[in-house]
Amino acid sequence: MCERVTVEDVERAIDMGFRDVESLKRYLRIGMGPCQGRYCVPIVLGILSRKLGVPVEKLSYVAIRPPLEPVPARLFLRVKKDV
Amino acid sequence: MYDLIIVGGGIIGVSLAFKLAEQGFGKILLVERNYLGSGSTFRCAGGIRASFTSREHIVLMKRSIELWGELKEKLGVKYSRSGYLWLTHREEDLEKIKGYMRIHHMFGLDTRLVGEDFVKEVAPYVDTSKMVGALFDPLAGKASPFDSLYKQFLAAKSLGVEFLVGKEVTRIDIENGAAMGVLIDGEKIPARNVAVTAGACSVYLLERNGIKIPLTPVPHHAALTEDFGRLFDPLIIDVASGAYAVQTFHGNVLMGVDVEEKPFGELSVKLAFLEKVVSVWSKWLPWLPNVNILRYWPGYYEMTPDHHPIIGPVTPIENLYIATGFSGHGFMMAPVVAEEMASWITSGRPRSQEAGNLVLSRFEEGKTVKELAVIG
Repeated sequence: MCERVTVEDVERAIDMGFRDVESLKRYLRIGMGPCQGRYCVPIVLGILSRKLGVPVEKLSYVAIRPPLEPVPARLFLRVKKDV
Repeated sequence: MYDLIIVGGGIIGVSLAFKLAEQGFGKILLVERNYLGSGSTFRCAGGIRASFTSREHIVLMKRSIELWGELKEKLGVKYSRSGYLWLTHREEDLEKIKGYMRIHHMFGLDTRLVGEDFVKEVAPYVDTSKMVGALFDPLAGKASPFDSLYKQFLAAKSLGVEFLVGKEVTRIDIENGAAMGVLIDGEKIPARNVAVTAGACSVYLLERNGIKIPLTPVPHHAALTEDFGRLFDPLIIDVASGAYAVQTFHGNVLMGVDVEEKPFGELSVKLAFLEKVVSVWSKWLPWLPNVNILRYWPGYYEMTPDHHPIIGPVTPIENLYIATGFSGHGFMMAPVVAEEMASWITSGRPRSQEAGNLVLSRFEEGKTVKELAVIG
């Protein structure tokens, strides 16, 4: 997964008491790398679902922070003030 | 029966739980309705300084900085005394920071004016060509909000503190003028003491008990770049705009600046913020326009009328305590607040006179304090 996190890391963190994807993100940094979680968060949800015995659709996804993908800072210099 | 129920699992509540557990204080339950750190803690920049302009802030933060050092030694918390650096490019701002410096010196804080060479040393990727002067605070620093909360959480848990996450305290159970516990899903959970450390939400929770606290949540914004190697060690402040930027332990640059916001405003994202923060920091960090912005989020400063926190008993109600209203400085104050709250709960007294000045009743008694420099 991104940020060099392994499946074992995720399983260990769940055992330590990090039982939601927002906390796993902040404890392990999954979803904080360049892909912003588009690849690894679904995988983590799968592991969490298996470990907790809760269907994936009942687990909440991480809050999506803008921008949706990394955006060069210079683009924001061209934003009109009244937007 | 719990000896203490803590309502709110941000850095204040978790630090208090850890402090009391370390002291061997009885049975503690901490309740967090969302996830630990989800309110303001995990949205904050992680800056830590004592260079304020009121006795209360300076004295308490000097103690807090000692305690941050202890947390690093004891738990390996990511904390570094890497300083704060106020940058000016206008003469009038230089006069302003000289004024701050005189107050700092009165309280024994070793802030000093520094020149280009020094800035280049501690902040090699800051452009000093437009700088007219800078103020450096060597005692200040930064810590990782994630790391410091999680390490104290795990330590508190191993000392026997119970954590109830994902459940909401709907009301404090108050009978005959004393806190008796809390209500969760309509069920009473009894406790000898209750401490409210719910940040901006403390105001809504206590309202249900008819207790008014003078607290106004105001939205603030922060954005984060991708990560790099060493760019600058201290937290830097552009004095003209009040904007701040800090390089996180992971290497990202985290930036904030004030934009117009209404009290009690909703937490929503604004393109105008990104425009302003990138434009302010491009002056000092000329490479900024060429790097990527990864994330942007809003969060609340819980402001009080005198911009100082509320710490201590909720008089006249017995066994009810509160710590909130940090006006943007809760994270850095957490260790000293935990120590002061622990003192209130175990002995009925604050540990220091300065903390004693920050009780809730000061607003009714007209004994408020003044802070002249709220940054970011």
